[in-house]
Amino acid sequence: MDPFLAYIESSALSEWIRGSESMFAFPAIITLHTIGMGFLAGGSAAIDLRVLGFAPGISLKSMARVLPVLWLAFVVNAASGTLLLIAYPTKALTNPIFYIKLCLIALAIGLVYRIGRTVLRAPDAEQKALARRARMLALASLAAWVALITAGRLLAYTHTWELLGVRAIT
Amino acid sequence: MEIAPWELWVRSTWLHAFVVHHEPWVWPLCETLHYLGLSLLLGTVGLFDLRVLGVAKGITPRAIHRLVPWGVAGYAVNVLTGIVFFSGHPDQYFYNDAFRFKALFMVVAGINILLFYSTSMFEDMKSLAPGARAGLLVKLVAGTSLSMWVAVLVCGRLLTFFRPPFFH
Repeated sequence: MDPFLAYIESSALSEWIRGSESMFAFPAIITLHTIGMGFLAGGSAAIDLRVLGFAPGISLKSMARVLPVLWLAFVVNAASGTLLLIAYPTKALTNPIFYIKLCLIALAIGLVYRIGRTVLRAPDAEQKALARRARMLALASLAAWVALITAGRLLAYTHTWELLGVRAIT
Repeated sequence: MEIAPWELWVRSTWLHAFVVHHEPWVWPLCETLHYLGLSLLLGTVGLFDLRVLGVAKGITPRAIHRLVPWGVAGYAVNVLTGIVFFSGHPDQYFYNDAFRFKALFMVVAGINILLFYSTSMFEDMKSLAPGARAGLLVKLVAGTSLSMWVAVLVCGRLLTFFRPPFFH
């Protein structure tokens, strides 16, 4: 048995999230994670669509004002995701898709940051010179969100271990 | 418990047979699409609602409203994938309180949409300049929209914790 996984899994917090009958335990945490996902991935997609030329009436500068909403959603998801990881460390950390998901989070969040800095908030934001590179970033961002949400969803189907010593039924 | 006629009908459809037979890939695929659809809805309609409520006021409401069709597309994806889920396991949804509340909140969201587009509120919104505050009534409608869609998501996410104790 992995002592690190055993340590997390046997902690009071982990046991409470997993075992509590309360709706404020696992159900509320996973619901918050989904609400955060909707605003973060969806809001980022809205920015990407604007960069790709849809809804051209929105100035890029004003679109940057949406970024704080995305960062708030990211904080909610980092926190709720950490709690879910504490609840089921073995389930996540023995699944290769979980590591792919982590890489995709880094990629998608990095792209939100870059699009914010180099496209929306660029001093010459409204100029055409940016267009091609900006469009590539927006397309990459959309692809990253699709891949990330797919990976997240697949976690429910691809784990081979549920808890230490407990094989998944799948 | 006796299986109701409507459920027998759902279970007699081609779609039910298809979903059940191909469940190992149909279910994860449709769930993924459902999540992508909800993100598109919250990210466009939700953002519009937030702007009307006063977040990121620099954005012209009329301009961000141009993204709403993307949210409608996301919703259409979710209605279709929702039909797939329901066809596969009708009892798990129909006899589930979370599903009933989800349906109720969708009806409220629908009435709210009709109210917004069939009254002068829609024109009032279109005339708002960047930085302008929306009127109280428009804000009320936007607040209802935002809270109803989040409530629909919450009920959807909680479906699994309120499943009926039987399996037909």
